[in-house]
Amino acid sequence: MGDEEIMKDVRAGNVGRLELLFDRHSRPLFRYFMHLTGNRAVSEDLVQEVFFRILKYRHTYQADTTFRAWLYQIGRNVCMDHAGRRKGEVALPENAGEFSSAEMPPDRQYQNKEETALLHRALAAMPREKREVLVMSRFLDLKYDEIASILKCEVGTVKVRVYRALRDLGDRFFALGGERAS
Amino acid sequence: MICDRMREQIPECLAGRLDAATREKLIDHLDTCSACRADMAELGVVWRGIDSMSEPEPSPAMRARFLETLNAYQEGYQEAQRRQAYNIPQRSFWAGLWPSRPAWQVAFSAALLLAGVLGGRYFADARATRNPEMAQLQAQVENLRQLVTLSLLQEQSPSSRLRGVTYSYQMTQPDPQVEQELLHTVNHDSNVNVRLSAVEAIGAKFGRNVQVQRALVDAIAVQESPLVQLALIDLLVQLNDKDALPALRRLVQDKDTDDEVRQRAGLAVQRLESTR
Repeated sequence: MGDEEIMKDVRAGNVGRLELLFDRHSRPLFRYFMHLTGNRAVSEDLVQEVFFRILKYRHTYQADTTFRAWLYQIGRNVCMDHAGRRKGEVALPENAGEFSSAEMPPDRQYQNKEETALLHRALAAMPREKREVLVMSRFLDLKYDEIASILKCEVGTVKVRVYRALRDLGDRFFALGGERAS
Repeated sequence: MICDRMREQIPECLAGRLDAATREKLIDHLDTCSACRADMAELGVVWRGIDSMSEPEPSPAMRARFLETLNAYQEGYQEAQRRQAYNIPQRSFWAGLWPSRPAWQVAFSAALLLAGVLGGRYFADARATRNPEMAQLQAQVENLRQLVTLSLLQEQSPSSRLRGVTYSYQMTQPDPQVEQELLHTVNHDSNVNVRLSAVEAIGAKFGRNVQVQRALVDAIAVQESPLVQLALIDLLVQLNDKDALPALRRLVQDKDTDDEVRQRAGLAVQRLESTR
């Protein structure tokens, strides 16, 4: 059953069905917050807050929007509320080790670990708006029309912003590594 | 210009989302443009690099906390629905009993009045003997409710604090300690949803208290969340608190006020002024 059908059920009062949507979407949502806040405990709290708002404002869900787009619209608002409360704090990952892979030969693993750590540093150093659009497109695999609906802009604008964000990440990554791809 | 348009397609191409015709155009362009080719190569390295970043997992406690909140919400929701469902047959049942002819209606009313007077005398006598024990028991239950509410409001987990706010609704007598704790929650709780629920609870339980109304007006200025500010404004309008007008006007004039909050504060000023 599609997310939108389930959400219609939730809207009609069958609120227990929200558990299914939580199981489908809480992990990617948690990762979205991790990329924006760099803090595990805060990210878990923000996920709770998003699903609580869905419960509270379920009557405002309109079936012409995909559930994912609506979910991340709420997620953005929740994150902005949080950022407003913590102005001046710099979002950095708690532990770059969390992002490494263990299924590779030791030398490749080392190189990969280094590259991954650099990528993570480069991503964390990006301006929030660029990081957000890249996380939506590359990490959450959201479609351009969904991102456009979340950010309330045109699909063409999303296309340009994703390219610029990826380019920015590349510039920072290669600058940190001191090398360019041949 | 052509290069700009072509480069904008690179992320979609790397994601494998480009349609065949656009992809072909991009490849043709890359064959002839070394700058775009280099761009594609660099971004390809970054794109594939992202694949190797394994993502962090949330703790199992996150799901448990969500289920706790969902269950609490569901219980409250079902309870509300049950109450609503009982109301409907009751109305139709009593409406069915009521006689349609006016003469019978007068007679029925007189009989009810007489039964009420006699019944009142009888129960007044009976209550005089039982009252002290009942009152003591009721006071104990009320104290227990107060204790549970206050301790839940000081819990670490937002869902427990939410339960505390919900519990405060069950108190029959407004308690000053609970009132202060709810006001503290509105001003200082780290969780927006707990603050929002506390605003509703204060409105329902302590809204008529003038000191509480002043505290609610002061709370608008210290709130960072526009949602809580909106809830506070709505509550002050609902309470018809005209003393809130100066604070609401300041909010309208303040440049830093959120657009939606400014708009709502403006409407609130209009409504409060129109009811003068």
